Amino acid sequence: MGKDRLLPILALILLFIASSSSLFVYASQTTTDTLLVNGQHYTINQLFSLAKPRMFNDSQYIGIALDDLMLKVGVANPERHTYTFKGSDGYEKTVTWENLQNGLLTKNRESVFPDLPKAFRVKEIVTIGVN
Amino acid sequence: MIDKKFIVGIIVFGSLWGFAECIIGSLLRDVNLPAGAIMTGVFAIGLMTLSRTTYGRPGMQTGIGLVAGGLRLFNPFGGCFICSAIAIMAEGLLFDLIWTGFSLDKKTTQILTDQVSLGIISAYLVYVGGYIVTQILTPVFSSAGFYLENLLVFIPQILASGLLAALLGVATVPAVIILKKLHITIQDRLYYPITIGVSAFCWVFVIVNTLFILWL
Repeated sequence: MGKDRLLPILALILLFIASSSSLFVYASQTTTDTLLVNGQHYTINQLFSLAKPRMFNDSQYIGIALDDLMLKVGVANPERHTYTFKGSDGYEKTVTWENLQNGLLTKNRESVFPDLPKAFRVKEIVTIGVN
Repeated sequence: MIDKKFIVGIIVFGSLWGFAECIIGSLLRDVNLPAGAIMTGVFAIGLMTLSRTTYGRPGMQTGIGLVAGGLRLFNPFGGCFICSAIAIMAEGLLFDLIWTGFSLDKKTTQILTDQVSLGIISAYLVYVGGYIVTQILTPVFSSAGFYLENLLVFIPQILASGLLAALLGVATVPAVIILKKLHITIQDRLYYPITIGVSAFCWVFVIVNTLFILWL
């Protein structure tokens, strides 16, 4: 097949992939008022009443300590696990216990880790999984 | 022998792309526009197509990506700047591979359908590829490490996010090829002063802008 024919066909295939992925993402988006943490549902206010507060950068980021939160929700031997934060858009990042010891969860349900790149800021968190 | 004109070409196109990412990209993010897709679909594809059709040499866009990504590291604002820098470098390499793979160096297609197709293919694959590379490399270089399942579950979102870049590419590549037909050239004696001057302006502007924001 010549290049002149191959280019439009490949372009159409890519547009189909992009469009169908967009429809899939739109259909599978989840919205919930609660967070599933270690298998149990909590509201953000419940989590804030459980764990001790933490702040960074002169109060630029205020929230609750993620390591303390894991202990309060009953995670045993926390250093033996990794922790996966999943947002409502499906974006997820997995971190270690060492990372959690510097991390916080904001009232807007966003994870903040000052020692990790901003790619680890998961927004609108719906699940914190303990692996 | 080192081709000075080629090296300076890499630096000026890379500087322009890096400048656009740092300054225009930040402005787009401030008004909540999809900066990543717009920057790739318009600026990255536009500048790389222009450089490829002007110089016609493989390897140039990889260099342009390295220069642009390097400049992005001097502007640590607006989202994950390490991710941006990695993505930009990967995008340059991917553009190079796509155009070399399709053997598009010697003859730029003259048919509008092919130009549009090329815009879609280049913009989409470059954007999605850059996105995937940064999702792998950013965690690898952090203390958290990379987990394949984090990437796999997010693949549909990455594939979907490339749609806007692809649609912008529809207009960008034909626009660059029309621009090329105007035969705008720089006189030989002005080539180095203009390209070095433009590159210096881009770097100084971005660095001063960074210092200014930090100082405020």
